[in-house]
Amino acid sequence: MLRTYRIQVDDRSYVVSVEPVRKDRFRVKLHDKVFEIESVTAEENPYWIVKFGETTVRARTRIMSNDRVDVYLAGLPFTTSLLPVGPKGYAPPAQKGISGEIHALMPGRITSILVKEGDEVQAGGPLLILEAMKMQNEITSPVSGHVKSIRVKEGNIVKKDSILILVE
Amino acid sequence: MKLLIANRGEIALRIIRTCRKLGIQTVLAYSDPDRESLPMYYADEKYPLEGASPLETYLNIPKLIRAAKQTGCDAVHPGYGFLAEDAAFVAACEENHLVFIGPSSKALEKLENKLIARATMRAANVPLIPGSEHPVRSEEEAIDIASKIGFPVILKAVYGGGGRGMRIARTLEEVRRFFRVTRLESLSAFGREEVYVEKRLTDPRHVEIQAIADKRGQVISLGERECSIQGRHQKLLQEAPSVAVGDDLRQRLNEAAKRGLAASEYTNAGTVEFLLDSSGKFYFLEVNKRLQVEHLVTELTTGIDLVEEQLKIAPGSGLDISQNEVHTTGWAINCRINAEDPRRGFVPSPGTVVRYQPPAGPSIRVDSALFSGYSVPEQYDSMVAKLASWGRNRAEAIQRMKVALEEIEISGVPTTIPLHHILMSDNRFIQGDFHTNYLNEMLPSMNSYVARLEEFAVVAAAIGKTANPTRFPNQQTMSQGARWRAYARTTLMTHQR
Repeated sequence: MLRTYRIQVDDRSYVVSVEPVRKDRFRVKLHDKVFEIESVTAEENPYWIVKFGETTVRARTRIMSNDRVDVYLAGLPFTTSLLPVGPKGYAPPAQKGISGEIHALMPGRITSILVKEGDEVQAGGPLLILEAMKMQNEITSPVSGHVKSIRVKEGNIVKKDSILILVE
Repeated sequence: MKLLIANRGEIALRIIRTCRKLGIQTVLAYSDPDRESLPMYYADEKYPLEGASPLETYLNIPKLIRAAKQTGCDAVHPGYGFLAEDAAFVAACEENHLVFIGPSSKALEKLENKLIARATMRAANVPLIPGSEHPVRSEEEAIDIASKIGFPVILKAVYGGGGRGMRIARTLEEVRRFFRVTRLESLSAFGREEVYVEKRLTDPRHVEIQAIADKRGQVISLGERECSIQGRHQKLLQEAPSVAVGDDLRQRLNEAAKRGLAASEYTNAGTVEFLLDSSGKFYFLEVNKRLQVEHLVTELTTGIDLVEEQLKIAPGSGLDISQNEVHTTGWAINCRINAEDPRRGFVPSPGTVVRYQPPAGPSIRVDSALFSGYSVPEQYDSMVAKLASWGRNRAEAIQRMKVALEEIEISGVPTTIPLHHILMSDNRFIQGDFHTNYLNEMLPSMNSYVARLEEFAVVAAAIGKTANPTRFPNQQTMSQGARWRAYARTTLMTHQR
């Protein structure tokens, strides 16, 4: 039985078909590439040996919710969202523009805010300084525009992904 | 000796291991986030510092001195980072009759900060990089000096070290922009905001001499380390010896290092760092007045336990090895594994390590305090493991490292492992043809490697989902009946022909 998914990683989209070959063996098609997969554990977060051509990568998967699977391989985590695809095909992913919502890439402390509301900023221009793991990280604006609102104060501790500044 | 360990993580564990070998009692001072950490299992006693930030804990001199006094310690090992090179801490240890495992406060005065160290080295006839001789007080002054010595320049924290508190500026605008950031970073990391400006050499190599000096005036060199593979001013891969250092250069580096340390009246383990240009000329960079992160490659090539030597000579005994007895064998490589995301400019990425499995095998060494379920705290340095290999020659050390990198599993947080994978298969790295800027040149090939890894990740995600279509083991929300159905579905899926 063939199963097909549309898998999204950040803003990149992949179509993947899974075909069980025999016990603990699978064949997976990603666009025009064919990967061979072997399962070697049955623990809670299973471990997979994934082969493509000469390359072998060992991966661990963790089901986080109905449509989210986290994958760990080669020392990197990948957050994937999956949608099963029926025989009628799938909807193309919504185009996401670059947002002027600046989020904290990591938890840390705001040591300094370099702009005020209403300021004009260029894409790449510095907005604030976020301290995490002893490093001062200059957070820059991904877009050009005006600072619409500043959601943090100097000295604030922020969580990962929390909104810091809006630029429009 | 009863030793207070004023540090955390893998280096605390590293020190405890040698103490256990020597039968030295250890007391581990720990912060709240480190209450559940591996060195806690092996220290003989623990002392809570109460608090999470470095300033409340591992940088808090009165608390650490109190910890040592109350637990009856007579010596303090600072590890590296935190208070390892802090003159006030050394002085406080001396006043309280605690043996500080490191240089005396007298030696620290002669190397107190980067500018004083430069003056000491100039007097000892050790070659220097052009730069300012005084702290820079304003953006304008920084711009003025930078224009005089020529771009690019480096803004450096006068009191900095360990690669922190440094920014490269290539234009006047960058000098202006980074002046403030560097001062802030310096203030937060070292408690002082003074910054100075130094010329940045074009694509030099970084080589350094590991030395040990006893209190009787004997200084010996344990050979050089090559640390040119750097990112964000941090040494990410180190090796011993260096492909760029022949016998003649080695001798001149050893002599310059010993001369500089003697002039500083230096004692205990120390490293003299140099930049080496393509013509073979070398320049003094700084003295690292402590054990270093990369000390393990020297241990692998010399067979000497540096922490053991530190502990033996700190109370005043002479070194029991002479220069003639130091023999280096083979080649060692160390990969620094940080919880940093190579896909996002190496931002530090704290989080929980879902699973950790260290590699092993002949001549593989892992210094780490990781375990499955460990939560990498956001308050401290991002380094989570050091993975080292030794071989009879460089090629063998690389082969062993390659296998070990495939074997190590750190699941849950992004790490610098992909970078090391790339290096071990990179032709220029294998040939030894690289410099301190080489990592930046390699970033495109690393990005394409990570993009390829993403394909493997989506393939694994599809399989993970297919094998367990409705099972959410990490959320434990399923009813008994749902689990039954999920099991049946999985069995049907995976056993079908």
